[in-house]
Amino acid sequence: MVTYDPAASSGSSNGTSSSSANKPSADIDGLLAGAGYKVRSSELRQVAQRLERLENVMVNSPAEISLLASDTVHYNPSDLASWVDSLLSEFNQPVPVPTNLPDFPDLMAGPGPGPPPNQTVVNNYLADNIIPSQLPEQNIPAQQPQLMVVTAMEEDSGIRLVHMLLTCAESVQRGELALAGSLIEDMKGLLTHVNTGCGIGKVAGYFIDALSRRIVGVGGAVCGSAYENEFLYHHFYEACPYLKFAHFTANQAILEAFDGHDCVHVVDFNLMHGLQWPALIQALALRPGGPPLLRLTGIGPPSPDGRDSLREIGLRLAELARSVNIRFAFRGVAASRLEDVKPWMLQVSPKEALAVNSIMQLHKLLGSDPSRNSPIEMVLGWIRNLNPKIMTVVEQEANHNQPEFLDRFSKALYYYSTMFDSLEACSLQPEKAVAEIYIQREICNVVCCEGAARVERHEPLAKWRTRLQGAGFRPLHLGSNAFRQASMLLTLFSAEGYCVEENEGCLTLGWHSRPLIAASAWQALPDPIINHHASNSNNIM
Amino acid sequence: MQQKKPKFFINDHIDILIEILKRLDGRSLCVAACVCRLWCTIARNDLLWEELCFRHMSSPPPSSVRPVVVALGGYKRLYMVCLRPVLSRLARVVWTRDEVQLSLSLFCVDYYERLGVDDRIGECDASTSSLMFLCKPVNV
Repeated sequence: MVTYDPAASSGSSNGTSSSSANKPSADIDGLLAGAGYKVRSSELRQVAQRLERLENVMVNSPAEISLLASDTVHYNPSDLASWVDSLLSEFNQPVPVPTNLPDFPDLMAGPGPGPPPNQTVVNNYLADNIIPSQLPEQNIPAQQPQLMVVTAMEEDSGIRLVHMLLTCAESVQRGELALAGSLIEDMKGLLTHVNTGCGIGKVAGYFIDALSRRIVGVGGAVCGSAYENEFLYHHFYEACPYLKFAHFTANQAILEAFDGHDCVHVVDFNLMHGLQWPALIQALALRPGGPPLLRLTGIGPPSPDGRDSLREIGLRLAELARSVNIRFAFRGVAASRLEDVKPWMLQVSPKEALAVNSIMQLHKLLGSDPSRNSPIEMVLGWIRNLNPKIMTVVEQEANHNQPEFLDRFSKALYYYSTMFDSLEACSLQPEKAVAEIYIQREICNVVCCEGAARVERHEPLAKWRTRLQGAGFRPLHLGSNAFRQASMLLTLFSAEGYCVEENEGCLTLGWHSRPLIAASAWQALPDPIINHHASNSNNIM
Repeated sequence: MQQKKPKFFINDHIDILIEILKRLDGRSLCVAACVCRLWCTIARNDLLWEELCFRHMSSPPPSSVRPVVVALGGYKRLYMVCLRPVLSRLARVVWTRDEVQLSLSLFCVDYYERLGVDDRIGECDASTSSLMFLCKPVNV
């Protein structure tokens, strides 16, 4: 298999350690020299690594070895280092640049000098195969990340997985379910060759699962109980900074809007465990001029087992407020969907300053059912009629509400790969594992469900701007205090990939320059025609 | 000949002892608490920790801060659980108002979560704390 070029060396390579004149013999490893190979001692580790890679490549693509046997010419195999390099280049493997790697490199190409692995793989594929105008502005990396521990073979499998996922989604869109099913089987086979503990393997696993659910038709089955949802949400809160960013940014805007008011009322569209409110209570307690009277109305799903979970959270918040000497009143509104809430349930008084807080709730109203009034317009209408001092809106910065399935699928693949990348930086267990289940539920909803069942209808900030401005709101700019606080909060997270950006008065939090969540604040435009507390709630202009 | 110099025993001069302990950093204060019972009593006094918390601020905090911090668990806990990790993560020696405010907010969330430990949230995961992302606090 190996041929020698007789012109290259003067003698046979089976000679002893007599090396050519320009290499000092002291540098060459003595043991290998005895076997006829000339390797510099300083290069031993790198040559060993490259040999391992070569072995991996050869074991996994046996078809190409025969090419090596017949078509390629090798020179001077006793110079083991360059021989291995030349073989690797035959397999089109990039030769790794020798870096100052520690002796035991981490098995995660985590927050390091290069862009993260999932983004790289998906970027590479999408950049070549999807129309560039559909992609947001990105730095498509031109080279592999420096800490390259994902072997080239795995990277290749990663790209193949992405390709197959998109092909499968396309066949689902065309209704060719048999083809899609066989692609699923192929992908499951491919998954056994990649590391499914992290990186593209893990994300692909979830998407393959979601696609197969869609094909089989059990898409809607992943909806959990309210208790489960709260549990998942809480762990997502702990594992990554997105919800903390949302809470702190919204609180800062609300605090500033409440300046000078003695009676304030906050309406929370999704109370969960009420984790957003302790910080606001504390900030109000310490504000110069003394604390106001604070009312909190929390909206949440009804509890099935007779417990009043909303009331329990209210009691906890009340205890906290009492400890810090704030006059506090809580009211719970149980509703399974936001559009079932009627403004009279909130009992807003005209004398108080009102803040409406929506953390990832408005997108659930975007399902368009032609038999009813558009829920989003109805809800925005009654919010506007309440004339809130501020409405804080936090939404996923993603475009998962397009009518075409393939478009949604590829956008979701890109978005959730980035999110999983950011989650790799978390080391808290079991928070991280449970947070993944939370994200998986979202993925399933975006991929498997249709019609009223699909509630995760994320839209990007630009669309929300248009929609809210059309509904009679004007933007309030989040100030520099909010930005500073968000940046500080992120610095406390040990991962260095997160970035806060300002976007025309709104703040976004993202991972490696891809925004994943956007926070904005709004105020109702005064309208001379409409009386602010008119009884009709469908005032759409 | 015996020397007639009077022995100086620091524990006889508590006011001086307090003045010295007031100027220690957090770790040294915790170590000092292990010396003897008297030092332990003094070092655990929350006033010393309040000094420590606001030592590096350019202006003293408003008087409304103390009752809030005391209600939420005290200055020693604020320092150990929030301020110390925040300061070290932000690589700072001198505080700004914003950093104090953020730490107080995080402290309040921590208090709230501890309130819920007996609830069903505690049933599933008693060690959940939103401050775990800072570090695991070391209680000396």
